[in-house]
Amino acid sequence: MNSSFATVPPQQRTPLARYWHSLWLLTRRDLRVRYSTSALGYFWSILDPLVMAGIYWFVFTQVFERDVGESPYIVFLLSALLPWMWFNGAVSDCTRAFLREAKLIRSTRIPRTIWVNRLVLSKGIEFVAAIPVLVLFAVVYGAELNAGVLLFPLAIVLQVTLTAGVGLLVAPLVVFFRDLERAVKLILRFLFYASPIIYSTRDLPGDLHFWAAFNPLSGIFSLYRSAFFPDQLDWFSVGVGSAMSVAFLALGLFVFARTERAVLKEI
Amino acid sequence: MAAPVSTVPSTLPVISLTDVGIRFRRNRRGRRNFKDLFAARNRRSRPGEFWALQNVTFSVQRGEAIGVVGRNGQGKSTLLKLVTGVVLPDAGVVKVTEGVAPLIEITGGFVDDLTVRDNVYLTAGLHGMTRKQIDARFDEIIDFAEIADFVDTPYKHLSSGMKVRIAFAVISRLEEPIILVDEVLAVGDKAFREKCYRRIEELLAGGRTLFIVSHNERDLRRFCKRGLYLDKGDLVLDGPIEDVLARYNDEYGVKRT
Repeated sequence: MNSSFATVPPQQRTPLARYWHSLWLLTRRDLRVRYSTSALGYFWSILDPLVMAGIYWFVFTQVFERDVGESPYIVFLLSALLPWMWFNGAVSDCTRAFLREAKLIRSTRIPRTIWVNRLVLSKGIEFVAAIPVLVLFAVVYGAELNAGVLLFPLAIVLQVTLTAGVGLLVAPLVVFFRDLERAVKLILRFLFYASPIIYSTRDLPGDLHFWAAFNPLSGIFSLYRSAFFPDQLDWFSVGVGSAMSVAFLALGLFVFARTERAVLKEI
Repeated sequence: MAAPVSTVPSTLPVISLTDVGIRFRRNRRGRRNFKDLFAARNRRSRPGEFWALQNVTFSVQRGEAIGVVGRNGQGKSTLLKLVTGVVLPDAGVVKVTEGVAPLIEITGGFVDDLTVRDNVYLTAGLHGMTRKQIDARFDEIIDFAEIADFVDTPYKHLSSGMKVRIAFAVISRLEEPIILVDEVLAVGDKAFREKCYRRIEELLAGGRTLFIVSHNERDLRRFCKRGLYLDKGDLVLDGPIEDVLARYNDEYGVKRT
């Protein structure tokens, strides 16, 4: 069948459709590679937050007398820990976004932001896949679901904005400053304790309360948590966090566009 | 029957480079600061950098077959990468109006842990083919690469020859009107190489535009009518392939007895 060689079809799809097509292909590849090479597959992505939640639950409810957060504490923990895993995983993978795929980037001409966005997407899918675990614990411990659950989509949109922004900022810079890879890991570890995950912003002393809102994760986590703990919803944090997220995305896009030329030469 | 590609009249070039230049750093691990990272593109050459290509201007019509000639390190591969769009010029404009199938680092998109089948769908998909298009060509691709028995084998277990064969088979089946070839024909056994040649001739007969980098004069004469001669980052000669090869041999070639 040789007829297909003679005709040269026009571009069938719009650039946006092609973008999604490539993004989706690479994301699927990521997930498939991860799950085809490990026996436990899906369970790894929930095992990690579960073990961490288990540790914090033990330390703060069995060892120490807990006076932060809300009850049931395990649900309180998981409702911020799971999104944290998404943010943490995506940003730390972004430090190697270009270096790991150098060969592929040198041979295909897809829009370069895909190399960052696919990491945000694949970690996001793992996050969504882990939500049933949260639901399970909420049911077992009798946490009450309320109208705040409707804010989940808003929280996800904000987190995508923030994570993509930070990723677009970090990915190209690491190509030039390799030290940044370790610095990012360190900053992430700091950020874990600086974000309201094992505690809530309301547990902070008064003046810190104000500044905590400038960590965009505070607002985002408060949205997730409002599904079970309506008192956690803090519109001031959400407002500041949204502005910060959008600012990060704008900065990320700017840095990415300015450094793209140099990145392509370097890898 | 060949359908018209688009409404663009065929006299418009499909590839056109205007005053294109690109520079690289001489020592890749040199000092770098935030300031020159964000500096807008400019024509000044900074210390420690050199122009890999400079003031390159030419255009290509649909259906032309062009060979790029030059010694190692004179910017041939960089030129192909610029046309593919995987590096961006520091000066000038690269305009490519149609899709490109790059036979450059062809095995780059293949993932070791996935099967050959998954890899074919992934790579062809990344180059813009839809699932249906790939379904329709899948058997052709596997036949061409002669690895029907290994379709569900992880890519990493293939021999290096098989890897190149499957990669060539995929990229050369892309529905793109422009094909870029960078030295890949040097690999594979003789029989497969001959098959690749025939495939390229088929594509040319089908009206594709071909851009080829090679050190093999026989290949160049076989496919190309027009040649580009690059030397020290400049486009020295743009003319019939015979003239280009003659000039190249004059300057660098072994004297024929």
